[in-house]
Amino acid sequence: MRALHTAATGMMAQELNVQVISNNIANMRTTGYKRQRAEFQDLLYEQVRRIGAQTSTQGNILPVGIEIGAGVKTVGTPRIMSQGTLLPTGNPLDIAIRGEGFFKVQMPDGTFTYTRDGSFMMDAQGRIVTPQGYVVQPGITIPQNSTSITINAQGQVSALAPGTTTPTVLGQLTLTRFVNKAGLQSVGDNLFLETPASGPPQDTFASTDGMGDLQQGSLEQANVEAVTEISDLISAQRAYEMNAKVITAADQMLQATSNLMR
Amino acid sequence: MENALLLGLSRQIALDRELEVVANNIANIGTTGYKADGSVFEEFLSPTALNGQFPAAHRRLSLVHDRATWHDFRSGPILQTGNPLDVAINGDAFFVVQTPRGERYTRNGAFQLDADGRLVTSEGYAVQGDGGSIQFQVNDSKIVISDDGTIRVREGADPKSDAQRGKLRLVRFDQVARLKKDGASLFTAPNGLTPQAPLATQKVRVVQGALEQSNVRGVAEMSRMIEITRTYTHIAGLLQQHGDMRRNAIDKLAEVPA
Repeated sequence: MRALHTAATGMMAQELNVQVISNNIANMRTTGYKRQRAEFQDLLYEQVRRIGAQTSTQGNILPVGIEIGAGVKTVGTPRIMSQGTLLPTGNPLDIAIRGEGFFKVQMPDGTFTYTRDGSFMMDAQGRIVTPQGYVVQPGITIPQNSTSITINAQGQVSALAPGTTTPTVLGQLTLTRFVNKAGLQSVGDNLFLETPASGPPQDTFASTDGMGDLQQGSLEQANVEAVTEISDLISAQRAYEMNAKVITAADQMLQATSNLMR
Repeated sequence: MENALLLGLSRQIALDRELEVVANNIANIGTTGYKADGSVFEEFLSPTALNGQFPAAHRRLSLVHDRATWHDFRSGPILQTGNPLDVAINGDAFFVVQTPRGERYTRNGAFQLDADGRLVTSEGYAVQGDGGSIQFQVNDSKIVISDDGTIRVREGADPKSDAQRGKLRLVRFDQVARLKKDGASLFTAPNGLTPQAPLATQKVRVVQGALEQSNVRGVAEMSRMIEITRTYTHIAGLLQQHGDMRRNAIDKLAEVPA
């Protein structure tokens, strides 16, 4: 009974689907989270009677054959890199990207990761860092006692030094783009890694050459839509149940066969 | 005498095959661009006992065997995803994909970009445009795919720029039923079946931000499955009765009157 195994692949696929959906729902309120989608494809087919096989010496050929499929496989869980809605927070170091690009973050081991989560903080030395304390590139230090930090659409950070009225420009935030941003690897903490599939990182600045704008005092929400996820969850659950029913059916047929022998 | 057993067996083997087809359909109920399979059975006449004394009607025995599986090429429901690289075809046509094994055809429009900016399938095979594969540049944004498959982008920062990146190649087949499944949502054309450009009267449209879902209809497959199991169990019962009958006959006939 191949049907048993075929249905098992279907159940495994739907189980993974539910796993992906539950992760999306769990991260509904995660800043800069990009939803994932499970992609399925059918498995190989066994040609029981090959299409086009000769049926006579007169050159008659089979117009259709028998192809029996072996089930389903998961081919990937690509991220949907669409824009999330911006939520105003009023915090001067909360920055959202409207459009293309990722913030570049230096990890403790010197490598770089990329993120859409712009909920930044200041560390003890006045550097702009992520909530984990990793330095946001190019490493802008805000001098002590500075007031009214502003970050414009191009990512230029400026602040008022004590006793002055003209803001000093302290630096410009790096924004990175990838040819295939869906090919980035997620490493948790809202961070992404470059992979051979994503293409090399291209460092530039906001609002230049098709890059997105920065918006100070806002955060990009997750692009998860509750309605979509719940309806996906329902159809995944139903598909799982149907596959389970196939297993029951195959089992009943086997039972009928074994009952023949008394 | 054995004929009833053989008849039952031929039907059970066919039902077993049919369940495999149904199981594969249900396993692929969530597969983008999947086309359901169906089974076709035919009567298979076999001459029975050579004894010419039988009345003519009893001389032939009709067995069943599965002749073919066929692909149901009806469109599946179109699901809006909002992802710019998800494309669905509204109409009777296929996308063309270049694989290492040659050209393949698919209705699965969940495309991606690879590291070089080429439009590829989830497996990394290049999607074919009218002039070969479709190449994007690193500073392209706002990808727009129009009804006819033309891909336009905003190149760089200029909001007025409207660069063309190619046009998705769509093909249709005269005898679509002859396409063979190749796994991974791909179809291959057997010898003698050549892809053709869609006719203008077909009104084939490309829908961006949407995916064609599997055209497996859960309810139909479930009822077909119930029918299969019931028939199978029923035939098993018939065979059982047939066996009992023979045992009875042997017991009764061999009874030596005291």
